[in-house]
Amino acid sequence: MAIRDDFEVAAAQVRAAVQRFALGLLVLACFAAMLIGKADTVLVENARVLALDLASPVLEAIARPVAAANRAIADLKEFASLREENARLREENARLLSWQTAARRLENENDGLRALANFREGPEASFITARIVGDSVSAYVRGALLNVGRRVGVAPGQAVLTGEGLAGRVAEVGDNSARVLFVTDVNSKLPVLIERTRERAILAGDNSPQLRLTLLQSVGGVQRGDRVVTSGHGGSFPVGIPVGEVVETSEGHVRVRPFSDFSRLEFVRVIDYGVTGLVNSGPAPATPLPPPPSAASGQKVR
Amino acid sequence: MRPDSLLATLDRWGRVALPGTVLLLSVLLTLAPLRAPYLSDALPLLPALVVFQYSLAMPERLPGPLLLILGVLLDLLLGGPGAPIGISALGFVLIRAAVLNNRRYLVGVPFLFQWFGFCLLALGYVFLVWIFTAIWTWTAIDAAPAMVQYVVVVVLYPLIAPLLVRIRARDPLNVPEPSRGAARSGGTAP
Repeated sequence: MAIRDDFEVAAAQVRAAVQRFALGLLVLACFAAMLIGKADTVLVENARVLALDLASPVLEAIARPVAAANRAIADLKEFASLREENARLREENARLLSWQTAARRLENENDGLRALANFREGPEASFITARIVGDSVSAYVRGALLNVGRRVGVAPGQAVLTGEGLAGRVAEVGDNSARVLFVTDVNSKLPVLIERTRERAILAGDNSPQLRLTLLQSVGGVQRGDRVVTSGHGGSFPVGIPVGEVVETSEGHVRVRPFSDFSRLEFVRVIDYGVTGLVNSGPAPATPLPPPPSAASGQKVR
Repeated sequence: MRPDSLLATLDRWGRVALPGTVLLLSVLLTLAPLRAPYLSDALPLLPALVVFQYSLAMPERLPGPLLLILGVLLDLLLGGPGAPIGISALGFVLIRAAVLNNRRYLVGVPFLFQWFGFCLLALGYVFLVWIFTAIWTWTAIDAAPAMVQYVVVVVLYPLIAPLLVRIRARDPLNVPEPSRGAARSGGTAP
């Protein structure tokens, strides 16, 4: 009996030791994973893309009913304020019509002047419309997952737009999924112009709802309400996409509110701008074709 | 129900796979675009809640290696560029170890104690992820969003935990005799 008890005690001790050892091993494995992630970024990138591709069908299945429910709630809310909304829209319509006349006149004038000056336009852009199937939003990341990927021509670095303005850029691309990094993410740095003064600046995110503007020249010229647009420096972004407006200027400290409402995004457009059309992976056409026909739901802009 | 009938087998397998499946679902759910103002803030901490609750109820069905895999998956799916891979896994494993080592304070005690235990462990988890992410990316990350997440998930705990507890409450009656002892608190088999 005593031997048996001794044996049981010993066995329990061994089991406890193994368990403690197991915890140590697991912790070590976690640190190993972190180190590998730091050292071999390509491997991690591939793993991320694989995980995204696997998860995106499931997420899409979740996203659709949720989007439908949200839309129903929004519809109900809109019913309540239909009359005021109508009046507001009629007023806005009148205002926009006068702007349209001005824009037409300027466009004609521009075309004429361009023809006179033999001006060469930048590459033409096409876009791909995508559904947002996942939020990649935590305390540390501001982003989203899209249901389009390499197969329809999405590539890292492309600009992602909402109806209101720039949302972010494509960070990672799988076969049928892509991850967007919003302009509000701490990793986002964007070359921009102040629309009024044509001053160059860098717009950086810090995971808060507002963006930080770092001016390359003087701070003095910036006022509240100034619109900030992309400058097109650095390649794949078209020039002049609206990003946000200045809401706060204090000593060397300019805050910009983005036009896009990130909490209610459902569809976005991925802009395929020239360069990426030529380095498209997959079977390349014998002669470089203009990009639009290759995109699934591509439409020309500008 | 006979112990060897098909239904019983299915039942047993379902119970064995349940914690892992729920955890996987909660990992996927962290990415779901719910658009609910505070709820979606708390989603990234939902897997930690599931790990806590099932480590309490049936730790043998949520083994460490599984936590490691699902934690890495969570980091791969949720993390932005440059974020550490495996930090959630580390958090999960530590939560499980902490719960297992403090079972006598957490199992068979009033719900309020469990809630308090979750508050402490979740705070540790949030701090761990925050400090590692800050060191790893070498940026001063604003801690406020992380604290909002923490507060929301702590407030949500009494709503979500009973759902998981319901599954647990029936459990000791259904499992066969030998494995029952393992799911019980503190005491060893006579």
